[in-house]
Amino acid sequence: MELYKQVLRQTVTYRLFTSILANVNDFSETLGNITICGIKTIKAIFKGEMSSKELIEQCERFGISSLPITLSIVGMTTVIIVSQIAQEMVKQGGGNMVGALVSILMVRELGVIMSGFAIISMIGSSLASEIATMRVTEQIDALRTLKVNPFGYLFAPRVLAGMIMMPPVVIISSFIGVLMGALTSNLVSGLSYRAFFDSLWLGIFAKDLFICIAKAFCFGGAIALISCSFGYHAKGGAKGVGIATTGAVVWSFVAIVIIDMIFAIGFFF
Amino acid sequence: MGIEVKNLTKTFGEKKVLDNISFKVEDGEILALVGFSGSGKSTVLKLISNLVEKDEGEIITSEGDIAFVFQYSALFDSLTVYDNIAFALHERKDLKKNFTEKEISKIVKEKLELVGLKGIENLYPSELSGGMQKRVSFARAIVTEPEVILYDEPTAGLDPIASTLIEDYILRLRNETKATSIVVTHQMSTIKRTADKVIMLYDGKIVFRGTPDELENSDNEYTKQFINASLEGPMKILA
Ligand SMILES: Nc1ncnc2c1ncn2[C@@H]1O[C@H](COP(=O)(O)OP(=O)(O)O)[C@@H](O)[C@H]1O
Ligand SMILES: [Mg+2]
Repeated sequence: MELYKQVLRQTVTYRLFTSILANVNDFSETLGNITICGIKTIKAIFKGEMSSKELIEQCERFGISSLPITLSIVGMTTVIIVSQIAQEMVKQGGGNMVGALVSILMVRELGVIMSGFAIISMIGSSLASEIATMRVTEQIDALRTLKVNPFGYLFAPRVLAGMIMMPPVVIISSFIGVLMGALTSNLVSGLSYRAFFDSLWLGIFAKDLFICIAKAFCFGGAIALISCSFGYHAKGGAKGVGIATTGAVVWSFVAIVIIDMIFAIGFFF
Repeated sequence: MGIEVKNLTKTFGEKKVLDNISFKVEDGEILALVGFSGSGKSTVLKLISNLVEKDEGEIITSEGDIAFVFQYSALFDSLTVYDNIAFALHERKDLKKNFTEKEISKIVKEKLELVGLKGIENLYPSELSGGMQKRVSFARAIVTEPEVILYDEPTAGLDPIASTLIEDYILRLRNETKATSIVVTHQMSTIKRTADKVIMLYDGKIVFRGTPDELENSDNEYTKQFINASLEGPMKILA
């Protein structure tokens, strides 16, 4: 019987099955952790335990220090896309619609999702490793023994800063994206700036702008909450910090794509 | 008020780290908690300060604050020494409106002087030596006038002179604050200089209790092995 079990344990099917089971377990545990952190953060905000000084500092970090990367990523993505399509559109007689295409692209998807990716790689990863380091060096325990709520002091300002600052970051980077679009289409296809900007507002409705801001708001909050939660649950030493950071980045990426999908299904169908 | 621990049990996963432990520390007393690495000393402190939840048993202690001095100081590395010490006064919900910055600055200065430091308010923790970090963490812990102070290996990793200094400050803090203290340590010097009573943990149980003198001179197989740092004896060392 023992031998039989041993053989069974070595089969690929068994290993695959246990590894999937372990992953499902990890998945539900992580999802649970994030949810609990979210609830505790909301509670801390309503109990007035948030540090307002920290909020200002985190807003600065989220909004200002991230701008160079966000702007260059969104700007360059627009250059790449517009340089591929502008010439073709002008050739086919659709030159007067290039502006509309770029603005729809920016406001509906590219501006917000590319900013999201940039913010994850820059801010999300640093939030996760910062808080994970605090966890493994017992600084979070120290907070608690000093009777300061970590959800009020660490989570609340970071999550709120994410929600507050992500919309302006997206708006600014979309604006830069549109400018880069105008410049690129002028350079590659000789389209006049006038023709570009005339059609700019054709494809954009108030609803699109509203959804764009709502999406940015959700992305910012989700990225900050997921990253903080991974940091908070880090275990062990330096290795634990690394694992937490990777987890935060992967989960944030997946989360914003899922949120984006929910918006797409909910609002544009 | 002192600390009373009754039938305390704690399991991590499969491992029973503390198995039905009971002890009492009288008001204003200093208890040394000794034992090899992994014997559950830090866990006892974390249970008393509510950082870890107990499985079973009872911990009776003061309603007032319980200060915790962490093994590696656990200073907030993004804050200056000043902001570290003032942290509870700045950020604790029930305290932050009670003090003006001027009062806080006076308290910080006072607490720093109590641990023999001066003029380092604007430095960051990484700019200090290990012994100084330890002392700043003492100052941070006592800023709210705690009734209980828990020290996790306060002299580990320090040179003998820095250790002596820290031991003196442990005594001094007790005399100034009248707090009840537990000191987790491996060091005989720390036990002899600071402790009124000693408890030794092994395999989740208390294997010795007595005074520092009794620890040194008893026939107990466990304490003999501990004092002589011997590999031979009832305790299996896994390290
Ligand atoms: N949070 C935890 N999760 C799992 N195991 C833990 C945790 N904290 C401590 N342990 C385990 O409990 C045992 C005692 O740890 P600890 O109290 O830190 O010992 P000591 O301070 O005496 O060296 C160790 O085996 C350690 O691995
Ligand atoms: Mg320990």
